Amino acid sequence: MSKAIKIMLAGEGGQGVQSVAEILAEAANEEGRQALYIPNFGVEQRGGVSLAFVQISDDPIGSPKFQTGDVVVALSDRAVYRTRQYVGPETTYIYDSGMQGAEGELPENAGRLLGIPAIEVAKKEFHPRVFNIVILGAIIGATDAITLKQARAAVEKKLGYKFAKEPSLRDLNFAALERGVGLVRTSPEPGVATRVNADSDGAGGKARAAESHVSSHSLTGGQS
Amino acid sequence: MLQKVIQEEKRAFMTGNEVVAWAALAARAEIMFGYPITPQNEIMHYWTRLAPKYGKSFLQTEDELSAGFAAAGGVMSGRKAFTATAGTGNILMQEPLSMAEMMRLPVVAVIQQRGGPSTATVIYSQQEVNLTTMGGNGEGLRIVYSTATHQELYDYTIKAFNTAWKYRFPTFVLGDGYQAKMREPLTLYDPEARGIQLVEQEPFVGQKGSPGKDRPPAQYRNTYNLEEELFEKLMSDVRDYEKIIPELAEFQSSGVEGAELAIVGHGVVFRAVREAVNVLREQGIKVCYFRPVTLRPLPVPQLKSLAGEVKKILIVESAYGQLARLVTEAVYGANAEIHTLFKPGVGITSGEVEARAREILQKPLH
Repeated sequence: MSKAIKIMLAGEGGQGVQSVAEILAEAANEEGRQALYIPNFGVEQRGGVSLAFVQISDDPIGSPKFQTGDVVVALSDRAVYRTRQYVGPETTYIYDSGMQGAEGELPENAGRLLGIPAIEVAKKEFHPRVFNIVILGAIIGATDAITLKQARAAVEKKLGYKFAKEPSLRDLNFAALERGVGLVRTSPEPGVATRVNADSDGAGGKARAAESHVSSHSLTGGQS
Repeated sequence: MLQKVIQEEKRAFMTGNEVVAWAALAARAEIMFGYPITPQNEIMHYWTRLAPKYGKSFLQTEDELSAGFAAAGGVMSGRKAFTATAGTGNILMQEPLSMAEMMRLPVVAVIQQRGGPSTATVIYSQQEVNLTTMGGNGEGLRIVYSTATHQELYDYTIKAFNTAWKYRFPTFVLGDGYQAKMREPLTLYDPEARGIQLVEQEPFVGQKGSPGKDRPPAQYRNTYNLEEELFEKLMSDVRDYEKIIPELAEFQSSGVEGAELAIVGHGVVFRAVREAVNVLREQGIKVCYFRPVTLRPLPVPQLKSLAGEVKKILIVESAYGQLARLVTEAVYGANAEIHTLFKPGVGITSGEVEARAREILQKPLH
């Protein structure tokens, strides 16, 4: 029985957390794998931290939510606080390094802390709205949960109607996706904070590719 | 009218609420009556989006009482009618569905359990087991399927229409907020292409011929003046119900022989139970699982035999003892020790089930 890879995302409403989760799960499903995505939902219509749980496996998936993520992504200071309980010694913790006031709050027990300048990169190199696509790239880079090819297809499926009207958006999104992969794969680069805790080897091999300098062209599969 | 909804089998990736809407279409349901309540709203939303394309109808009523009674009226006029609700809506739904029990009306209701009591959370629980199995002012002459996956949500929604129309008891599909909102893969299919015959609907009232001459009179009552008259009518229904229990009761179990501990769970919690049992068995720990698929009628003989086979039983549920009450009653008299893991209104993971099993078997993780 192979273990499911468990990914949890948290951010402010409007940051696109749910879209990233949906694209990840849809892409895995398109590969013929088992995938489960569930948003956290409550009575609030606006505001609050938006949480999403994604699991990808080759076997039937257990409970929809989980206690500890292999990868936990926090995109705002409030999200950092909200995600602490889902972090364990084997968790790869991805956060935006440009966040104010979160540094002291980061979960010290995480196996690996990956701070990436996603907001800054999106703003300076692309467009602030592709921020979540940069994050999607970073998750793929850190986990190999899905292939880049499938990620592109899933982005196309989700945003194709926008690309049809404005074809340049396609290149923008795909470039942002690859930039996200590059942010975690070619670290350390300026602005990328990486720390691997000595007593842990990461999420059981699932986060194995993060240290290596793999070019995005050689991405073929993530089935561990 | 007979247009096939699903031309060929296809893999889909969607929410449980969307699955229910597709399944109702595939079962050739004709009309939905409903009133909004989270987390079942999207059943209505998807149905209203899909229904007009296939000549089906929808009516939003003023509350769940009306939705239930309208669904009862729908089936009396010979339409495959259904409704869906949750939480406090399920409480209101009990009055019309008690009438459906009394008048033997094949109403189908999909329940997506949310936190309780009262408004509580809109999210998730397994706290509507009491209500859904025995919620009326009667004997619970109804069928309740508790699903665990999107595939089952599809399969059992189709089956619920067949069960209801074949046996003429109200039939429930018991899901929950997690199943409602999560997305996972399943295969959509046309039931008849798989050899599943759809039971034909027929009107209760307005039948052809003269009553008493060409056919027995159609007399559907929910009011009785005499105690004896009621007793006779109810005992006839109870006998009908008891006769079909062996055909209706469904369960799933694995590894019972030689197991020391049996873990019992239903619905979405069964996913965690199955995973925990697989992990423990890989480590040589003698555990098995047993999952009632029908909570009403419960697979009583199989539960009794399970309780004779194992030394200990662990009942796991996202409620404080609603499944446990059903199971302990079923195994009454057996020697197996009963243990519990109750987390009312919150999800349960395989890790928690595994830890509790280790505690009971005194096999701590090294």
